[in-house]
Amino acid sequence: MGVILEVKNLTKKFSGLTAVNDFSFEVRRGEFTGLIGPNGAGKTTLFNLISGHEKPSSGTIRFDGRDITGMKPHQIVNLGIARTFQLVRSFRFMTLLDNIAVSCLSPRGKKVAKEYGIDEYASSILAAVGLVDKARIPPIILPHGDLRKLQIGKALGTNPQLLLLDEPFSGLSHEEQKGITDLIIKLHDDGVTVFMTGHVLRELMHLVPRVVAMHQGKYITEGPPQEVANNKIVLEAYLGKGSEQLA
Amino acid sequence: MRIIIKKIAEFPSNFQSYFRDWISTFRAKVTVICLIGLSLVPLLTQNPYFLGIFTTFMIFTIFAASWDFLAGFVGQVSFGQAVFLGVSGYVTAYLIRYLSFPWWLSLVIGSIIAVIFGLIIGIPALRLKGPYLALGTLAMSLIMYQVFLMGSLATMWENAFGTNLFGAEGVSQITPISSDTVVEYFATFLIMSVSLLILTHITKSNVGTIFKAIRDDETGTSASGINTTKYKILAFMISGLFAGVAGGLFAMRFRGVNPGVFQPLYSFYAIIIAAMGGLATISGSAIGALIFVFLGEILRDTQDLSLLIFSIILILFIRFAEHGLLKPTLERIQELWDIVLGR
Ligand SMILES: Nc1ncnc2c1ncn2[C@@H]1O[C@H](COP(=O)(O)OP(=O)(O)OP(=O)(O)O)[C@@H](O)[C@H]1O
Ligand SMILES: [Mg+2]
Repeated sequence: MGVILEVKNLTKKFSGLTAVNDFSFEVRRGEFTGLIGPNGAGKTTLFNLISGHEKPSSGTIRFDGRDITGMKPHQIVNLGIARTFQLVRSFRFMTLLDNIAVSCLSPRGKKVAKEYGIDEYASSILAAVGLVDKARIPPIILPHGDLRKLQIGKALGTNPQLLLLDEPFSGLSHEEQKGITDLIIKLHDDGVTVFMTGHVLRELMHLVPRVVAMHQGKYITEGPPQEVANNKIVLEAYLGKGSEQLA
Repeated sequence: MRIIIKKIAEFPSNFQSYFRDWISTFRAKVTVICLIGLSLVPLLTQNPYFLGIFTTFMIFTIFAASWDFLAGFVGQVSFGQAVFLGVSGYVTAYLIRYLSFPWWLSLVIGSIIAVIFGLIIGIPALRLKGPYLALGTLAMSLIMYQVFLMGSLATMWENAFGTNLFGAEGVSQITPISSDTVVEYFATFLIMSVSLLILTHITKSNVGTIFKAIRDDETGTSASGINTTKYKILAFMISGLFAGVAGGLFAMRFRGVNPGVFQPLYSFYAIIIAAMGGLATISGSAIGALIFVFLGEILRDTQDLSLLIFSIILILFIRFAEHGLLKPTLERIQELWDIVLGR
């Protein structure tokens, strides 16, 4: 299987602070990969660079062999990379159905959605993420767990090949985490390449076969979660936060 | 991705069922009754003064709805709506006065020029957000005001074309839509009804879904694969179109335009009216405009005071009725309706 995402020497400097520092890694098509690192490691910034929400200071990002560095977010989405946000975002005054419909109306989403009709397609996505019975209500009154599902639904509306999930478990109860886990596994089984972050290694431990570790903007190591968890630098990075966070 | 397609039966699939669903709602019935009521006004009175007030009210309804569309549905708060009103007003007036174009053709061309101004305003507006957008659009209307007021431009234009365009006088002595105020009334009524229908339809369409998404979360909309730039410009052009329609009608109704139409005051009127009716309602503008225009007539002799009074009314609305009058009124009527029907 070919490389779907290739990040090379990626650097992002904010005034005085290098959030992502000469970072390189690859994700292969169909893979299920985690990105770990303690708070402030630069995971979200890395996602923002890939999704085009931030412009890199230097380095390149290639998707499916194509240079996407510096492209606009909507262009990147329409090539097949969708993302969710660590802090949940939603269209507050619109129904859940319309929240999903927006993605289905993107050029890439539309190609699939128009075969079925936008509303039908959007409701099928709501069904897939388990929110179809709430199709007619706005997200302001949803519990946090449902908002996380909605994030994934919104990403799915664009019919992604690569799904970037930023802390999809953050702020969730055990029960809710289970639901999201099942959903992500199902999506991966359906052929979506998944790349997700988590600052608590335990959450990713049993889910992904491979993790990339990041610390202070730098690439540390990668490999099966058990191995990475025993890496000296990774251990040190996390130790300040309390080693109980580890598996 | 394979997702099991689950059909939900309640979605209307064609226009007929869309219309049937719409007319079955309470709101639709009230709309139809209001429209019928308005179309009966000329049966009650042919007094040009009264019909004129109604005509003015309908023009302001279109104008305020064009602002409400942009602010309430796309989240772009403009303080420069008067630019569209003025530009189209000037073009319409000029074409009628000096080129003897028929009124409807002048109105169409004036509105198209307003659309182009929507594009011109829309592009810099993309970089401005929130209060900066409001200030930027406000500045634009002030620039237009100053340009059209310029004496030197006025003489230059007059020497070059032999007509009056710039200068304090503006373009005056325009023939109205018809010398018969009833005809003028119905023409305006028709244009207003169609304008509100189109605006409402846009907000309910797929494009409207994208507009609302931009209003609620612009970054999130781009993450959903939508080119927000394209849709924001489109929204400015649509808003410009309908403000332009209002501008052309305005020029004909008042037999001319002068640089005063570019004043922030007119943008402010649109905001007051839309706020009184209720933001993000489109048709709420009709209620707002009705109050505004009739109150304006009552306060006619106290011109200087009227802006003060309207400002106070606006503050009261913001404080006590932030959702405007349309929704609460509809709810009251619905209650009455239910009582009358014995439910
Ligand atoms: N827009 C910005 N301007 C300045 N500094 C920023 C900006 N965004 C992020 N940073 C800084 O970059 C560093 C990396 O932040 P980032 O949010 O990418 O970390 P993270 O790994 O996602 O952390 P967390 O686990 O808390 O989500 C932090 O020190 C942060 O303060
Ligand atoms: Mg983060």
